[in-house]
Amino acid sequence: MNHLIVAPLLLPLLMGAIIVIGVNRSITLHRTLGLISSALITLITAVLLYQAINGPIQMYVLGDWNPPFGIIMVLDRLSAMMIFITSLLAFLCLLYAIKGTDEQGKNFHALFQFQLLGINGAFLTGDIFNLFVFFEVMLLSSYGLVLHGGGARRTKAGMHYVMLNLVGSSIFLVGVGVLYGLLGSLNMADMAVRLAHAPAENAALLQAGGLILFGVFALKAALLPLYFWLPNAYGFTSAPVAALFAVMTKVGVYVILRVYTLIFGDHAGVAANVLAPWLLPIALVTLVAGSIGVVASRDLRRTIAYMVVVSVGTLLAVIGTFTADAIAAAIVYLPHTTFMTAAMFLIADMLRQQRLDSGSELTPDRPVGQERVLGLLFLGAAVAIAGLPPLSGFTAKLMMLMGVQSHAAAPWIWSLILLGGLVGLIALGRAGSVIFWKTVPLDDTGLEAFSKKPHANIPRFGSACLVPVLMLLAISPLLVLFGGPLSDFGYAVAAQVSQPVHYIEAVLGSDAVAALLSAGGR
Amino acid sequence: MNLALIPLLPLLTAFIPSLFRNRNLNAITAAAIAGTSMLLLLSQAPAVFNGQIPLSSWSWIPAIDLNLSFRVSGFGFMFAFLILGIGLLIVLYARYYIAEQDPMGRFYTYLLLFMGSMLGIVLSENLILLMMFWELTSISSFLLIGFWNYRSDAREGARMALVITGGGGLAMIAGFILLGNIVGSFELTTILAAKETVHAHHLYPLTLILILLGAFTKSAQFPFQFWLPHAMAAPTPVSAYLHSATMVKAGVFLLALLFPVLSGSALWFFIVTPIGLITLMFAAYMAMFKDDLKGLLAYSTVSHLGLITLLLGLGSPLAAFTAVFHILNHATFKAGLFMLAGIIDHETGTRDMKRLSGLWQYMPITGTLTMLGCAAMAGVPLFNGFLSKEMFLAETLGPNLFGSLSWIVPLGATLAAIFAVAYSIRMVHDVFFKEPAANLPKKPHEPPHGMRLPAEILMALCVLVGLFPMTMAAPMVNVAAGSILGAATPDYHIAIWHGLNMALALSVIALIGGSVFYLQRLRLFDSHLWCSRYCDGKMTFEAIVSGLVHGGRKTTRLMENGSLQRYIALLIGAVVVLGASPFIGSDAPFIGPLALSGVDPVTLIMGLVLIFSTVATAIHHRNRIVAIIMLGTVGLIVSLAFIRFSAPDLALTQISVEVVTIILLMMALHLLPRTTPAESSRGRRWRDIILSVAAGGGCTALMMGVLTRPYDTIAGYFLENSKPGGGGTNVVNVILVDFRGFDTLGEITVLVIAGLAIYALLHNFELKAPQTDALGHPWTEDRFPMILAQITRPLMPLALLFAVYIFLRGHNEPGGGFIAGLIVASVLILQYIANGIVWTRPRLNVDNHIIMAWGLVIAVLTGVGSWIVGYPFLTSSFTYLQWPLVGKFEVASAIAFDLGVFLAVVGSVMLVLVKLGSINSVDAQRVSTSVQKEKKDKEGAH
Amino acid sequence: MELLFSTCLGVMISCGVYLMLRGRTFPVILGLTLLGYAVNMFLFVSGRLQTNLPAVIAPDRLQYTDPLPQALVLTAIVIGFAMVAFVVVLALRASGELGSDHVDGRKENKS
Repeated sequence: MNHLIVAPLLLPLLMGAIIVIGVNRSITLHRTLGLISSALITLITAVLLYQAINGPIQMYVLGDWNPPFGIIMVLDRLSAMMIFITSLLAFLCLLYAIKGTDEQGKNFHALFQFQLLGINGAFLTGDIFNLFVFFEVMLLSSYGLVLHGGGARRTKAGMHYVMLNLVGSSIFLVGVGVLYGLLGSLNMADMAVRLAHAPAENAALLQAGGLILFGVFALKAALLPLYFWLPNAYGFTSAPVAALFAVMTKVGVYVILRVYTLIFGDHAGVAANVLAPWLLPIALVTLVAGSIGVVASRDLRRTIAYMVVVSVGTLLAVIGTFTADAIAAAIVYLPHTTFMTAAMFLIADMLRQQRLDSGSELTPDRPVGQERVLGLLFLGAAVAIAGLPPLSGFTAKLMMLMGVQSHAAAPWIWSLILLGGLVGLIALGRAGSVIFWKTVPLDDTGLEAFSKKPHANIPRFGSACLVPVLMLLAISPLLVLFGGPLSDFGYAVAAQVSQPVHYIEAVLGSDAVAALLSAGGR
Repeated sequence: MNLALIPLLPLLTAFIPSLFRNRNLNAITAAAIAGTSMLLLLSQAPAVFNGQIPLSSWSWIPAIDLNLSFRVSGFGFMFAFLILGIGLLIVLYARYYIAEQDPMGRFYTYLLLFMGSMLGIVLSENLILLMMFWELTSISSFLLIGFWNYRSDAREGARMALVITGGGGLAMIAGFILLGNIVGSFELTTILAAKETVHAHHLYPLTLILILLGAFTKSAQFPFQFWLPHAMAAPTPVSAYLHSATMVKAGVFLLALLFPVLSGSALWFFIVTPIGLITLMFAAYMAMFKDDLKGLLAYSTVSHLGLITLLLGLGSPLAAFTAVFHILNHATFKAGLFMLAGIIDHETGTRDMKRLSGLWQYMPITGTLTMLGCAAMAGVPLFNGFLSKEMFLAETLGPNLFGSLSWIVPLGATLAAIFAVAYSIRMVHDVFFKEPAANLPKKPHEPPHGMRLPAEILMALCVLVGLFPMTMAAPMVNVAAGSILGAATPDYHIAIWHGLNMALALSVIALIGGSVFYLQRLRLFDSHLWCSRYCDGKMTFEAIVSGLVHGGRKTTRLMENGSLQRYIALLIGAVVVLGASPFIGSDAPFIGPLALSGVDPVTLIMGLVLIFSTVATAIHHRNRIVAIIMLGTVGLIVSLAFIRFSAPDLALTQISVEVVTIILLMMALHLLPRTTPAESSRGRRWRDIILSVAAGGGCTALMMGVLTRPYDTIAGYFLENSKPGGGGTNVVNVILVDFRGFDTLGEITVLVIAGLAIYALLHNFELKAPQTDALGHPWTEDRFPMILAQITRPLMPLALLFAVYIFLRGHNEPGGGFIAGLIVASVLILQYIANGIVWTRPRLNVDNHIIMAWGLVIAVLTGVGSWIVGYPFLTSSFTYLQWPLVGKFEVASAIAFDLGVFLAVVGSVMLVLVKLGSINSVDAQRVSTSVQKEKKDKEGAH
Repeated sequence: MELLFSTCLGVMISCGVYLMLRGRTFPVILGLTLLGYAVNMFLFVSGRLQTNLPAVIAPDRLQYTDPLPQALVLTAIVIGFAMVAFVVVLALRASGELGSDHVDGRKENKS
């Protein structure tokens, strides 16, 4: 059995524990351990991704108790991609974080490792209750990280985030209870098979179970009306954490894609496609609401936070068509939006530190200290996020537009995605021109209120801070340059996701698939 | 390859000029790059003039039909030649124009970026590729307009241009995708051949409109014309290059490019022609009244773009031919005129025609050049402008375009021509003649020759083309028009003299009328005042944008009022709706087939007590002590319920967790206000009650549904394999440490994380506990009751022993590491409570971080151990051996795992409670002092 | 029996939710705890209500309850405990930082 599959879980777990053991040692030790671990995980996940692209779906049977009885980890192309994105992002965020952020509070590095464990676990697990457990691991460490450093605004925003997600966890259990009480199994593949055979009189209850779970996932993914916690939580937390959280909402997206194609897909008999009527409209409304937030916000970091909402809306609207082409397009868009929003969060943080008077608020201030390099970084990120050529936003958006065009709602999706792009253009154009250009505000008498010099005693950022951001940004042109292979990969993922029989066969063998098909599923 | 290099070279090497500090080096490198591209282009000339269309193509992203494919059609060649030719002149001009303090390197970088993107547009074979370059020009123009970014008009102009052209671009993306799908390919060669297919398709109108939106915004056609005049805040070289000669022509370029496939329908005609006509007239009219030289030229540019659009709208081959010709002419004289305006500005310090006058005596050469340019602009015979303009007028006379209203077009055209003459005269006369110049910011003089040279070249071209059109222009125009019109290309002889005909008459009328208009201008100015106030789209634009922003802020405030209560209500409400939706209209019976089991009195009473205490908790939540007690009761009954329904493990766990939780709550309460103020309004309470009843009722219903239905579970497997496979008889525990040991690993990780997060939260954090309780009684001085202390100290070993017992039997009987851990933890805590931190801390002097971390490590390593024997993570193995006293006892690797659990639990719980116990500032300092005291004692001992 | 159980549960959830919707951190914590109990019960009975059939293997026993939900609930209880502990401390921290024990850190007493 390929032990590499559990490495992305055990490594951070062990390393986290070791860091805790050395709790009273120097921060340098913590940093080295954290970086080593993250770097290793990134390599491992890269290998796993390679295996997943070229190989079949792999399964890791924990405790050697075969499914459906034991817990399993499943590595298919989708999960492989997600863990790779997560690990790479985490590594780069950590590189940035060790420049001081991690000293603002205690236990940062341990929490960071456990965060990684939780996210990777949620992506890999093939068991619905184990998913719950990893959600909790992920959430609790995220609570710790969101509140890391403290401060009134952060604490308040963090509290809202925590409370809402606690309610969410309870709801999750209710959903699982209903489904287990009717299906008698927790292994997702097995649930799919059992669901296909479920009698008609259980239809309503099963659908209810599925939709209740969606409530929780929607909260994680930040869909209307459940995203209101996000702008403050992301806007006010420390930059590396916010950047890492660019992937957190994607966990919600991933789970929605997984659960409602695997368990509640076409083959699910009485509960087939239970989410289909809901997802698309909700996602589109989210997209609109997010765009409104983007133009409305007066603070760069909140603008980016709203862009996270927009990207989630976009992703799920595209996925909401539940066609292979659309899913492929979403897969191409996902890494782009994750890495670019992350980069933007970090850039916003550097700008904030060099604009002492107004921080990240969009009001005129003295010139940014490293106006040239930061301006370049901002321009790059802005172009990518606004979906302008030549960066990845453009190609990804194009692919999504083409991916959904066969769908009945295509006109809606098209116009909203494009309008969202326009709004992003307006907002980022305004932000950039205020921060980098409108640097000499006039007082009432029309005289220059400030000198045109940057603030004295602002921090200047060395390569140690700039390199991670540059690497994040460098991903965008790569995504365009290798757009061909990337889109092929997208189709390959979509092929697996939209044909869950492959997954089920890999987990339960061909008999299960036969049973599934005998139930009349596709 | 050469083909791709023409646009890519400037793009990829754009950064080079900004590497140098030396201004000459900046200019030279930029010129060198542009020059190389020019040579590459010219190397294609022979093929192009033989009527071929050189192609080169590489596949890039098949998924979006994006190929890196280029073509040099005759038309494309002409445009590329314009772009590079004028580009080179601009590079020279800018070298003198850009001031010392401005970053010249950056300027050239932007310029090259734009040049490359523009070349990309005119040389792309693939529509998607064209789209990419199209948006790139928007970006580079944004940067160039904002070059003098300390000027607010520059910033606003830049943003407006970006939003308008960028927005139009978005519409165009949609249009292109539609077009590509209709044709089934995004390669122009295929598309241009597919006129019938496209016109037949039901999406043709939508496609056309979307594409036209893109073109019109870019070429500043009515009603989008307003961004262009405001783009004049850019340095003059930029205005001359982007906003007269090249970028704004991209729109009309696209119209001409797609002319073969899109034109020829009534829709095309009835959209494009009127838009063109309106733009032509409106802008020409506005141009007359601009006092700013560049403003005048800008509006003139808009009106000429309108003229070209109008020509393309007319749709006849000759009209298209004329359009191409005029593109060429206009680029030549307008670029030159902008440069001259720039020179005047540069040498006098102002562009305001109210202040400028009588410059002739200071700068006669510039004056002459300006006259030539204006003559061309006005369409005076013997200048290139005249030729194309007369052809244009001839076209407008074409047979009934608008049926009975056909006379409108020639009339409008002539009027516009009159205006054009008027503003051309004004530009010359106001600036160079009238009374001699006075109080100018600078003493005017001729510019350095290098700065004037580009204008001289362009003006020379105007004259030469005007005099010898057939030799100078016809070849290129023919090949360009030929590549658009193909076989339909008219074999037209461009000539100055076509004999006495209507068109000539109109030209004459224009010239005379224009002069008259100029003489009467003062009256016109008065009549114009109203318009100058209302005819600027900028206001509208700004209004729209700010409306958008404010509307957005309102909506956001409306949705996100920052109230957690609302957010939670929304969450609950959403889930209730989601969960209820499937039952609406489902006819299946809600209650399942299974019969309900009977209720025995004991359970009934339990249930009633549970309900009572629950409700009590809710009702008395404002009296916090009572609420906690009630909550405790609830927890107790829950654990009883677990026993009642055959779950002893749960009961044990519940109890022990209960104890710790309550301790925790009490500690917290010590630091929080004792009571909750009543603050919810009546309506709010009712909303909440309804919501909670809905949620509760929903769950009751769901559960009834589930409990009354049969299900077959995988449980049987666990029961069978627990003993043989897991080596334990307590199936629940075996599941926890073996079948689903991974869950448990995650669970203790959560505990550890909680410990860490809480510790981090409380680090350097002190809270002053109120000195009195709710009723205002001060706390007793005797903090630690003697009796309790005396009892707990001996109690400890006993409790620990019991914990060990619970731990060991866990695998076979209810119990296990977790429960044992909690027991130990609560005992230790009891020590703290009874004897106080000051006494206890030194006696339990281990860092709980380390305990819990070791727990985690042990658990993981146990799991990893199974790798050695070649099994997956967490595979358990067990054997039986004879223990003294205990007797035959089974040791499973799971025991080691359970030990990890035990340590993690003890460590994390202690970490939390001790830390929590010591944040009360009073205690905190007591502790620190005591610890120091201990240290001293130790040192004394040694 | 099922009805009784479901009713109790419904009441617990209702009260839990109601408390969650209060404005101060303390009742919210109460609500969370209550909700936790209820949800655990819910998960627990998804294995149906069995009397005197503990899942401890004994030679003379033929019938057992479904042990799986019990194991799940154990995990859930522990996790729930961790969460409550965290929220309690967070509430303290918030009241310290925001100078108010209102969930939105509001000082004035209106909602």
